[in-house]
Amino acid sequence: MATEDITYWQALNRALDAELAEDDSVFILGEDVGLYGGSYRVTEGLYAKYGSWRVRDTPISEASFTGLGVGAAMTGMRPVVEIMTINFALLALDPLVNMAAKIPFMSGGQFPMPLVVRMPGGVAKQLGAQHSQRLEHTLMNVPGLRIAVPATPQDAYWQLRQAIASDDPIILLEHDLLYFSKGLLDVEAVPLPMHRAAVRRAGRDVTLVGYSRSVELCLRAARQLADVGIEAEVIDLRSLSPIDWETCITSVEKTHRFIVVEEDCRFAGAGAEVAATLSERCFFSLDAPAKRVAALDIPTPFNGSLESASIPTVEDVISQAQQLCSVADPGVKP
Amino acid sequence: MKQTVPMPALSDTMATGRLVRWLKQPGDPVKRGDVLAEVETDKAVLEVESFADGFLAGPLAPIDTDIPVRQTIAYLVDSAEEVVAPSASEEETEPKAPAVEPAVERARPAKHPATPSTTAPRAATSPSNTPRTLTDPNRRPASPYARTLAADLGIDLADVVPGAGGMIHAAEVLATALQPRSPDLHFGPPYQIEPLSPMHRAVADNMTATQGTPTFRVTARIPLDALQATSKETNTSLTLLLARACALTVKQFPRFNACHTPSGLAIRDRVDVGIAVDFEAGLLTPVLRDAADRPLEELAEDWRILRGKVRSRRVVPEDYQGATFYVSNLGTFSIVHSFEAIVPLGAAAILAIGADDRTATTFTLSCDHRVVFGADAARFLEALAGRLRNPGSWLG
Repeated sequence: MATEDITYWQALNRALDAELAEDDSVFILGEDVGLYGGSYRVTEGLYAKYGSWRVRDTPISEASFTGLGVGAAMTGMRPVVEIMTINFALLALDPLVNMAAKIPFMSGGQFPMPLVVRMPGGVAKQLGAQHSQRLEHTLMNVPGLRIAVPATPQDAYWQLRQAIASDDPIILLEHDLLYFSKGLLDVEAVPLPMHRAAVRRAGRDVTLVGYSRSVELCLRAARQLADVGIEAEVIDLRSLSPIDWETCITSVEKTHRFIVVEEDCRFAGAGAEVAATLSERCFFSLDAPAKRVAALDIPTPFNGSLESASIPTVEDVISQAQQLCSVADPGVKP
Repeated sequence: MKQTVPMPALSDTMATGRLVRWLKQPGDPVKRGDVLAEVETDKAVLEVESFADGFLAGPLAPIDTDIPVRQTIAYLVDSAEEVVAPSASEEETEPKAPAVEPAVERARPAKHPATPSTTAPRAATSPSNTPRTLTDPNRRPASPYARTLAADLGIDLADVVPGAGGMIHAAEVLATALQPRSPDLHFGPPYQIEPLSPMHRAVADNMTATQGTPTFRVTARIPLDALQATSKETNTSLTLLLARACALTVKQFPRFNACHTPSGLAIRDRVDVGIAVDFEAGLLTPVLRDAADRPLEELAEDWRILRGKVRSRRVVPEDYQGATFYVSNLGTFSIVHSFEAIVPLGAAAILAIGADDRTATTFTLSCDHRVVFGADAARFLEALAGRLRNPGSWLG
């Protein structure tokens, strides 16, 4: 039974279960992770199986329970902190930025930081501006923090397990809309290294770089582009810190064009970093300027139509790719 | 609202067009369908029609310059006011928008009251507004990869015809690299370069494209007096009768209506005869469609219209593309006894007709050996000779 079709949340649940079973120093803490089973069911059943000592419900106190995680990690435990949504992580920035990211460095390596902080983010369905945030840019700018962005159940499973096993502080950014997406999970497959990017589709004309949910946009765009003769290569970054530049560069040197697709705002975001670095490192291979497909630089509107108009669509990716490859319909006929 | 008027793409192979003249000036009201300008393409001079009602606005693209298809050559606006004051934000979205020269702005008549700086007006018609990149090949923008490739391949960017948006991409550099090498003129006499007209370039490109065709030729001498007599009696063009006789013969030997493609022979179910026509500006091959099965009177009418279009240089791609068999007649030059023609892409054969020397006329059939063989050509010429000797049998 090597592979099975399961949801993203089930894959995360499976990973937590495996780690809790294998290592007594692993424990979970956060709001509603125990009795309630997690707001996206990720910790479902674990409280019953491992008890309140290892699956700990906390009060609404992000700064405190994240700080508790940092302290526990310093004493040799392997805490997995769940922050209910990324929006509340702003309250926990002090333990994340000032403590978790810096203690291994400032202690000269005497204190490793085997801390995992999981948090869902992204634009779901009409949750309003405060609950539709993408804060990867904030976290990417913190040296010492690592950020994984699994896009598939397979990656969710292995990257969470790899994060728990790692002695570095690692943030696992999950997307609200991915929890109930399905995919294959093969727990016996040899996992990719935690921070290695993956080529999800091979192509020769343009490279589409995505991460988390935008990978699905890229793949759908690539399938439609193939119908008009444009073969797009799709790269799933899988990790935003560090970024696997080698995989990206190899692809861009083959296709000579690239588009970064992100759900985060365009200004100073992950796409800006990817575009800048690849433009720097692939300059002489580029046959067209870098393109970024990103959300508008506005707080996410509540109104459903406005909300979906504020973030990238498959059509956006297609039209940008067509422009890059210069086969766009001239539109006006004489 | 401001809409762009792009250089139209009038055929699949057209990469650039050359404006012959503007028939409207900025500020002129135009109706949908009005002719704005004339464009010389690879084959003909064509009219660019307005696709909407409005007013023509500049900057107008310059005449006598190769302009990539889809590049903006002018603008259409809704009101006369917009003609002279395009909004700044819209300008920015146009990659080819030239820089505003302060001097130009001062030179504008002061009939417009002060406008907010966000809609800074700019002169619309001055030829000095034409983008520099169109006229100065050394300043053509090229992608880094295109530059890298050009350097590696030893190609001068000035020799490269830009692609979309006036930019040189890798594809255009590669296209230049794959063209035949240019001759080294360093040690010969002094010279100056006269650019090929688009039509001349198209002929050159098409002929170069056929150089991989393995060709053989078969020659026959056929008396033409019977056909000439019929031509006079019925007052029908000899060329048309020859085309008809060829079409019937092609129909009899359908292999001559096929063409070689990488995936196999393309077998066509209609005979379209292309007839090479010499006129002052070069060479065209207007096509008589379905030349075997339609009544001769209908073909004669088509031929009359086509010749008129050729003379006025108003043919469109539908008129001259897609022939399945070609005829080239140099018999009007009494000194030419025989010659060989080049099989165009898309055909299996072309028939070259020399001058009549009172006893007979020399016909040379050039064939693509991948499609037809020597004996096929011999049978073809035999059947054709039968028809030409005895026009009465097939004219009716």
